[in-house]
Amino acid sequence: MKTWAILLGGLLVWAVHFFGLYAIAEFAPSRMLTVILTVPCLAAEALLLIYALRLDRDEAFTRWRRSVAVGGTGLGLVAVLWQALPPWFSG
Amino acid sequence: MKSETGFDHALFDRFPTKDERPEAEEEELKRIWCAPKGWEYLTVVNNNYVGIYYLGTAFLFFLLAGVLGLLMRVQLAAPLMHVLPQATYNQVFTMHGTVMMFLFAVPMVEAAGVLLLPQMLAARDLPFPRLSAYAFWAYAVGGLAFFGSLFIGLAPDGGWFMYPPLTSKAFSPGINTDFWLLGIGFIEISAIAGAIEIIVGVLRHRAPGMSLDKMPIFAWAMLVFAVMIVIAFPSVILATLLLEIERAFNWPFFDATRGGDPLLWQHLFWFFGHPEVYIIFLPAAGMMSMIIPTVARAELVGYRLIVLAMVATGFISFGVWAHHMFATGLPPMTAGFFSAASMAVSLPAGIQVFSWIATFAVGKPRFNTPGLFAMGSVVIFVSGGLTGVMVALVPFDWQVHDTYFIVAHLHYVLIGGMVFPLFAAMYYWIPMVSRRPLSERWGRWIFGLMFAGMNIAFMPMHLSGLMGMPRRVYTYLPGSGWDVLNLVSTLGAFMLAAGVLLFLIDMARNFRLAPDDGEAGNVFGAGTLEWLPTALYSTRSIPVVRSREPLWDDPSISDNVEQGRYFLPRSATGRRETIVTSPLLAEPQYLQIMPGPSFWPFAAALLTAGFFLALTVQAYLFAGVSAVLGVLAVIRWLSETDIRVPEREVDIGAGIRVPTYATGPQTHGWWAMTILLIVLGMIFAMALFGLAFLWSNQPSFWTKPPALSGAVPLALGYVAIVIAAGATRLLHRRGAVWAVVPVIAAAALAPVLLWLDIGVWLKTLAPDASGQGAAVYALLTLQGMIVGIAALMALYLGWRKMRGLIVDGASNTLDLVCMFTAYVGAQGLVATLFARAIGA
Repeated sequence: MKTWAILLGGLLVWAVHFFGLYAIAEFAPSRMLTVILTVPCLAAEALLLIYALRLDRDEAFTRWRRSVAVGGTGLGLVAVLWQALPPWFSG
Repeated sequence: MKSETGFDHALFDRFPTKDERPEAEEEELKRIWCAPKGWEYLTVVNNNYVGIYYLGTAFLFFLLAGVLGLLMRVQLAAPLMHVLPQATYNQVFTMHGTVMMFLFAVPMVEAAGVLLLPQMLAARDLPFPRLSAYAFWAYAVGGLAFFGSLFIGLAPDGGWFMYPPLTSKAFSPGINTDFWLLGIGFIEISAIAGAIEIIVGVLRHRAPGMSLDKMPIFAWAMLVFAVMIVIAFPSVILATLLLEIERAFNWPFFDATRGGDPLLWQHLFWFFGHPEVYIIFLPAAGMMSMIIPTVARAELVGYRLIVLAMVATGFISFGVWAHHMFATGLPPMTAGFFSAASMAVSLPAGIQVFSWIATFAVGKPRFNTPGLFAMGSVVIFVSGGLTGVMVALVPFDWQVHDTYFIVAHLHYVLIGGMVFPLFAAMYYWIPMVSRRPLSERWGRWIFGLMFAGMNIAFMPMHLSGLMGMPRRVYTYLPGSGWDVLNLVSTLGAFMLAAGVLLFLIDMARNFRLAPDDGEAGNVFGAGTLEWLPTALYSTRSIPVVRSREPLWDDPSISDNVEQGRYFLPRSATGRRETIVTSPLLAEPQYLQIMPGPSFWPFAAALLTAGFFLALTVQAYLFAGVSAVLGVLAVIRWLSETDIRVPEREVDIGAGIRVPTYATGPQTHGWWAMTILLIVLGMIFAMALFGLAFLWSNQPSFWTKPPALSGAVPLALGYVAIVIAAGATRLLHRRGAVWAVVPVIAAAALAPVLLWLDIGVWLKTLAPDASGQGAAVYALLTLQGMIVGIAALMALYLGWRKMRGLIVDGASNTLDLVCMFTAYVGAQGLVATLFARAIGA
């Protein structure tokens, strides 16, 4: 499970953030709520990225795992930020 | 290397072994995995046959749906044509879309997985061969019956997405819609069965040493594909169930005048429907990523990035479903989120495209037929992707919504993203299963006709769409400016069809199935394991994998495999068997004894199809009989599984010994049950979403639910079920003879609790009173279904116990019944509390 969490962590945070945003928009639309949701998600992505960068890379498999994890959390970080922008551009 | 399971990786250095293997070993393998004869072709479970059956049937549906497409193009070739009456045209376009999406695209890639994965992973077969056979027969029989509805004028006619209220009883009173709802619901169950097979196969049946970083990219694609099916398809299964219930029993889930909401259907449908596009695309992209390095004679550029892109696509594709609903009046914030996600999902697809281009660029590409189809695919898919980004923008989507621009976009994406890769794959992999490869010369003509025809057919549709031509119209008036564009589209469609026709002729000339031996072999010089010499038992011995392209990196591997110098060079127990390995590093864990051919999966599939078909035509007695016989057939099939062999531990090569039976979370059965419970959990979660959605959107119809405090006894009862299931497993491991009693008692308690809960709700709300009533009773219905299954499982467990088939301190059957029963308790607990909490 640990390896799967490392590989998928960044994208899982994105999923939590996206469905949280959807729930906010559907049930209680509020820009402030989107910020309250986004800040901890960005923090989680950042922490995961730091964790991924510090992972072992002494063997082929661990090197591969580290690079996929770094890519996933990096992508997740950008995607969370991107996903949080629409409320500031819509009416 | 740090081990995952305690296995010593130094043991891999014993391979290839030096000693000569006796010839009798191979003879025994051939005897155990022998080819079927006569009627045995119906009972076969080997992936070499089931995969071919599957592919052939899916391709047949491609041809049938293609003919429907041509009929539509003839009707639209000129204004005011009278080739198809209006009502028939509605059935034809509905069936074209439905058959292409449900009966061709998903089954085709699933079939490719069934055929290719065991060879690519060097497994003897997939983990549940009988489940594969059941999934195939259910799909084939159900699909053909569904398609047959067209010939009796009963085909569905509400579009492939079946939006209510058009498909409600009021506006679609015939049984046409029921054919779609019951037929598709049933076929999706078959797809989920295939997905479970693929996930467990990819994660647990890889050749020793094939760690995740050495896994073929197609296996990665199939893994993501299957996980997406598990998450997405429950939504459409629930949607079809709800709409069928609404039509049959007047429960108003989607009737806005009675507290339902037709948009709930759209949410449920598109939560499945958009990921479906990526479900189709990802395996095709996986094929491309296998074919292009061989064609380009270079390693795939960016393997890690492609794995990441596939996984990211899997995630982000679940955040785009509502972009199909921009025109329904979504709140601006919601539309913004979905627009952003729809643009973002193009990034991972772009990573894959750039990787393919880079691989072509760094290699020395050969412009053979697979290469041409691969390159054509990139061009067409990128064109479709670009218009996809355009329609992700809300204002542009409003302009082109429901016009031919969308028809053009989706055909560019699906033909470029799936059909062209599929043709590339057929030209590439047919030498693996046929005595002769297909003709290169014909292949180039076929590619030329299909590529030109596709663009001539669909490029003008962008223009006709921008000029305002709506989708799904059966004719149009002259002078609208659409005449020439439609005529050109029709000519292009026939050119595309001519290419497919030539392909069929090429197949007839050259395809000669050789599942046992004598196939054309590795004519393209590929580097992955499916090109090892194989027979019906797959490879003679299962190699240790040390790189991603073992055939390129170790030129002697084919000979050594063929001479039995790796794992499992013989049958260790005299039965069908394969090695189960660990999910991350593929370390050998135990030997799985595999079931052989059986009549029962075939019978169960026929009876299941009969049940659904009888329900559709309202022959309820026949449906009841089919259901009972179907359950008996499944039980009979299962009774031959979960058996122990006398050898508790065997040598699987070079003195390495593994057990022949294992229990608990490491087993393939446990994994399959976990995935099944995720499917059930997703159906349940979607039903909870439905209730919450109606509460949010139809508050004026809401009735105060029964008090939450009154549910405490029920909740305690459900907790007791979970505890009893856990206790049974514990007691059995401690050797208690009566260990099965708690779980059987729990299965008996579950219907009592459900009955009490229904009694409470009946005093408050009727199922046909409002959307809330319908949604609450849908939760109770779902609970009733799994309670019934748990009761059957408990009876089966008791029967096995009485037959003395549950012995020792561990049993897979017992474990799985306990898992399922615990889930029943957990779902019952959540349903009881949630239904009372919403709107309290």
